[in-house]
Amino acid sequence: MTSKIVVNNIEPDAGISTVSILGIATATKFIGDIEGGVTGNVTGNVTGSSGSCTGNAATATVASGITTTASVNTSGIVTATAFIPTTGQLSHRNKVINGAMNVAQRNMPITSANGYCLDMFKLWDGMDSGVATVDQSTHSPDGFSKSFKVDVTTADTSLAATDYARIHHRIEAQNLQDLAYGTSEAKNIVISFYVRSTTTGTYVFSIEQSDNSNKHCVFNYTVNSANTWERKTFSIAGDTAGVINDDNGYGFTMYWILAAGSNYSSGSTRSTWTDKVAADSMAGQSVNLFSNTSNELFLTGVQLEVGTVVTPFEHRSFSDELSRCQRYYQQYVNPCCTGVIPDNGSKAYSIGLQFQKRMRAVPTLSITNAGTGGNVSDGQSTQFISTLNAADRNLDGASIYLNLAGDLGDFRPACLGLNDSTTNSTTYKFTAEL
Amino acid sequence: MAFPTNPIYKLVNHPVTGNLNSIRTADDRFIPIAEDNTDYQEYLEWAKTNTAEAAD
Repeated sequence: MTSKIVVNNIEPDAGISTVSILGIATATKFIGDIEGGVTGNVTGNVTGSSGSCTGNAATATVASGITTTASVNTSGIVTATAFIPTTGQLSHRNKVINGAMNVAQRNMPITSANGYCLDMFKLWDGMDSGVATVDQSTHSPDGFSKSFKVDVTTADTSLAATDYARIHHRIEAQNLQDLAYGTSEAKNIVISFYVRSTTTGTYVFSIEQSDNSNKHCVFNYTVNSANTWERKTFSIAGDTAGVINDDNGYGFTMYWILAAGSNYSSGSTRSTWTDKVAADSMAGQSVNLFSNTSNELFLTGVQLEVGTVVTPFEHRSFSDELSRCQRYYQQYVNPCCTGVIPDNGSKAYSIGLQFQKRMRAVPTLSITNAGTGGNVSDGQSTQFISTLNAADRNLDGASIYLNLAGDLGDFRPACLGLNDSTTNSTTYKFTAEL
Repeated sequence: MAFPTNPIYKLVNHPVTGNLNSIRTADDRFIPIAEDNTDYQEYLEWAKTNTAEAAD
């Protein structure tokens, strides 16, 4: 039997809050809040001012996409035929080379000013008396294995107005062209890093554009807890006025300030690209890391990416990072080479060396001897390398002229002794840093 | 430690051609005559007000 009741309103009786339908209720339209499971197709817009969709939507098909200005969070797995960010890409997001501090080709601590220990990150020491040692450390946050360590060895408790110390990292300009700086489409960037310090307080992170008179952004961040890894993040709107040259110079320089005299710290922080003012460049730095020889600071997980959202650090393989670093520095210990003894009786030897990676610029060359230095044999006798004489170089290799401890037979080919000796070795260092 | 403000440079000639080959630093680094090299750029800045030691 079928029946039909036509009404225009159903209300609960007095004292009853719920109207129950034990079977299936159908309608051409439902308006108002829906609680409990919904089966079948839902068409049209789902709206609400502050509510949320709860329950299991495992089989839902959303015909027109999900659009929200808020984050979408799930503890489950998200699959798709493609993931396409609105800005930037999923891989190769991080424009910082060696951000996890894994590569240290020089592999030796430095205590001198303005030098490299880890690849691509340099201590720039402008202190009149404070001294620090830089080394690669195994202190690291979970998911990392290395960090850049600054260990103060000579204190400077009273900073002069011109004192400063900072870590710096440069990014090659032609690797920043996708930022579209200098156009109306200039993109936002976000920067993140992990820092750990013995000394809590206010520090400065800043970034400069060398192609635009060092226009800069200057931020304060706080190390809240001593000896604890903390991740810091910063967001910078795109610069529609400052063009970054499409060349092999440096486009960005990032600075982590360790100490700052009043000449550099008395100004104001800058959250947007602003013409450089010296007093702003380290504004607000209250920590003097050089105040005590027990002070240390560690840095790792440095990332600069396009977009407005800070994403997890993009880990790359060691060989990938090493290869990137070799554009700026490479070294060879007792390489396998054959050269020639010229007829000049001056204890000379020349070799040709092909680089493993094309370098950014024609490199500076130096050699370092351990023990007696590497040996050279002409098949009859052997001599050791003493000093560098001269070198012809281009981006891909070098002809190197060496002075030997003694003379070998003139006009003869001679080969470098290929061995793993760390007692008697010569290291050839090629530098084309930014 | 203060950043060195007056490094010593010495010119190095090519052993075969005799032409200028490199700029040698006090710590025995051989800088090429190359505009893109930042060490050479630093040398050029220094050379505006200083004179390097002549080649042997």
